[in-house]
Amino acid sequence: MENSVALEVKNLQVLYGDKHVVHDVSMKFPANKITAMIGASGSGKSTLLRSLNRMNDDLATVKGEINFHDLNINQPKVNVYRIRQQIGMVFQQPTPFPLSIYENVIYGLRLAGVKDRQILDQRVEESLRQAALWEEVKDHLKESALALSGGQQQRLCIARTLAVQPEIILMDEPTSALDPVSTSQIEDTLVQLKEKFTIIMVTHNMQQASRSADWTAFMHQGKLIEFNQTADIFMNPQQQQTADYLSGKFG
Amino acid sequence: MRPEKVDRLATVIILTLTGLVGLVLFALLVYLLLSGIPHISWHFLTSSAESFRSGGGIRDQLFNSLYLVVLTLIVSIPLALCAAIYLSEYAPDNRWTNLLRLAIEVLSSLPSVVVGLFGYLVFVLQWGLDFSLLAGALALTILNLPILTRACEDALRQVPYLQRQAGLGLGMSKWRVTTKIVLPAALPGIITGAILSAGRIFGEAAALIYTAGQSSPAISYTDWNPFSPTSFLNPLRPAETLAVHIWKVNSEGLVPDARAVSNGSVAVLILTILIFNLLARYIGYLIKRRLAKRG
Repeated sequence: MENSVALEVKNLQVLYGDKHVVHDVSMKFPANKITAMIGASGSGKSTLLRSLNRMNDDLATVKGEINFHDLNINQPKVNVYRIRQQIGMVFQQPTPFPLSIYENVIYGLRLAGVKDRQILDQRVEESLRQAALWEEVKDHLKESALALSGGQQQRLCIARTLAVQPEIILMDEPTSALDPVSTSQIEDTLVQLKEKFTIIMVTHNMQQASRSADWTAFMHQGKLIEFNQTADIFMNPQQQQTADYLSGKFG
Repeated sequence: MRPEKVDRLATVIILTLTGLVGLVLFALLVYLLLSGIPHISWHFLTSSAESFRSGGGIRDQLFNSLYLVVLTLIVSIPLALCAAIYLSEYAPDNRWTNLLRLAIEVLSSLPSVVVGLFGYLVFVLQWGLDFSLLAGALALTILNLPILTRACEDALRQVPYLQRQAGLGLGMSKWRVTTKIVLPAALPGIITGAILSAGRIFGEAAALIYTAGQSSPAISYTDWNPFSPTSFLNPLRPAETLAVHIWKVNSEGLVPDARAVSNGSVAVLILTILIFNLLARYIGYLIKRRLAKRG
């Protein structure tokens, strides 16, 4: 199958109070690939995604193992802040801070105590290039990030996540608030990013999954129904529910 | 009736009633200012009050009011801000926090006379502060806390949830998200709330009559030692404020020009509060602009 695994979940269950949202999911996310999580609203895919870097800590009970470099990070004693620097996250809507473009990108670095101007400058350029935003903003790095368009803001947020050099980037419907042009720019960016990063993305947009993802997982009512190479899932689904969902019978 | 007609009728009614409210408030304001402003002069603002003769000013009362506002804000802002941060960022939604919110709401509708008498019993007598600026500031803090806490909480809550998520996603702790992301974004709202509450406590009289007192002993504006009994900065001296002065001049004033003094004081009070409000807007606007531009 796949030679290296970036992240593995084993028997993962997520509960909001006594409401079971994710049932016993086990899967391996391949390294340097884009994995798309698809499924209807309420299928538990976003919840699963947010559990991977423990963003659900305050909201839900997460049981089971999340193995990252031979360490089960779903334990209270694990430094969750360190984990989130290695497993970054990009959200549905752009979330720039009310600061300059430059300051936005280096926010996480400043947090980690990096002060060397050269390193900061270099990381800003590198991250913005990786997020395919550099050419558009290189002449106004000192201007407010809030003045950027929605698509640019989202790429800025990707750059901000990249700047702390994570291994894995979780994306929760990263293009759902964007127009088609911005969406395709982000998708192009993702394909380039997977050389260096592992991307796990929740999406409602099935074309997006089929266009950009290497692997696709289909979830339904909190269960992982099928997980396979994207081409196989879309061309030759093994489960009836997957076939029904893809053909638009529900969801 | 046809929908358009209903619509037009409703609009006319709403506009009439709004106009009525505006007219009453505006007329009151104009009346108070017109009868007061002619009495405002440099002499009125810079000389001390007279007890029996006419021609007294409001220098000390005006200063006392401003100083009391400053003291009150020094005490109440940290308290209100901490409470607001707890309520908006940390408090779980349970019976205990609901009780807390209820307590704040009840506190906000407490009659100020009750607060004044409570302050008299506790701060003035029990704690032995006597009639003093400090006792007055503590009483005003009780009045101010619920409003200020609510204002701060609202300002914090208006910061989008996703901003917090973005901070957490970068590996920030909750406390850092609160202080580095949420608090700066909420700052314009917090400052506006603080200044507006300052306007409210500036005009407060009933809570001060028995706490800050009704007397204004001679003070020296050149004595900068806050521990000296005659220093204008001494927080333990009794201090009649402008609002208390208005009440006192009207109820037991012996000066022949009581009416003029009262009218002038009212106008000064209103104008000061107006300045507070304009200041609140301006500062909020400045900070917003600075935050958006910060590089």
